[in-house]
Amino acid sequence: MTANTGKPARAIPGQPDMWVLVLFEALVFTAYFAVYLFHRSAHSELFLRSQARLDPRFGTLNTLLMLTSSLFMLRCVQASRAGAIRAAMTSALITGLLGTAFGVSKITEWIRLVHGGSGFTSNEFFEYYFFLTGIHFLHLLIGFVAIGVIACQLRRRERRSQEVVETCATYWHTVDLLWVLIFSLLTW
Amino acid sequence: MNAQAKRRALIVWLILSAITLAYLPLDSWVDSQGTYRASSVVTTIAILLALVKARFIFREFMQVRNAPTLLGRLTDLWVLMIGAALLGSYFLGLGHVS
Repeated sequence: MTANTGKPARAIPGQPDMWVLVLFEALVFTAYFAVYLFHRSAHSELFLRSQARLDPRFGTLNTLLMLTSSLFMLRCVQASRAGAIRAAMTSALITGLLGTAFGVSKITEWIRLVHGGSGFTSNEFFEYYFFLTGIHFLHLLIGFVAIGVIACQLRRRERRSQEVVETCATYWHTVDLLWVLIFSLLTW
Repeated sequence: MNAQAKRRALIVWLILSAITLAYLPLDSWVDSQGTYRASSVVTTIAILLALVKARFIFREFMQVRNAPTLLGRLTDLWVLMIGAALLGSYFLGLGHVS
């Protein structure tokens, strides 16, 4: 622990193990993205025709929701660090609500696509689309657990572990980071 | 809570949101004959914008900016690696057009 000298200490945000997980996850997703892009450029007509069935407004809205949730998660961490527990709890709650809005929007988009005849087995593009967005959705659900852990820590007030709060926040930002990449690759 | 840190986070969020909205005009896959055409320029811009956003998220939201230099270098290396992997895969795939 560093004494408060007025300057931010150069410490790893959260537990280092979480960063190992983050970089590992990022590498796994990079492999998925690389395979997807290879096939996309090799079969561009099919992929672009399928991509055109996606409504870019959903992707844009979802990205804005995730980015905003990350902003509030950062505020939660900053408030917790400053001992402003009520503000931290409010930011964690808003993060959770924005994540929920993202989830509802994603499910709505899936339903709309399936009703429009574009399901998982429709073609190669939609296999990638549902696989990548599905895996990401799973990460989102785990992210809700992370927010729950943060809320539990904040309720402990003085006995809370700032390291655990930052570790869970790092996970949530990873969910945002992965979505930003998925949005860019699948929608455009 | 530090007001300066709060303002900085808000500015970063505005930049990231603006980049997200900048994707909308990129949606131009169909040519005048109604055929779907891949545009390497559009794909490259989309990937580069994603990498810029990823670096912003790492440094500002994930607070790597205030972390030890090694973590900053590792995340920068990751951004470069994913950029090379994505652009490499895309252009490699163009050589296998079916």
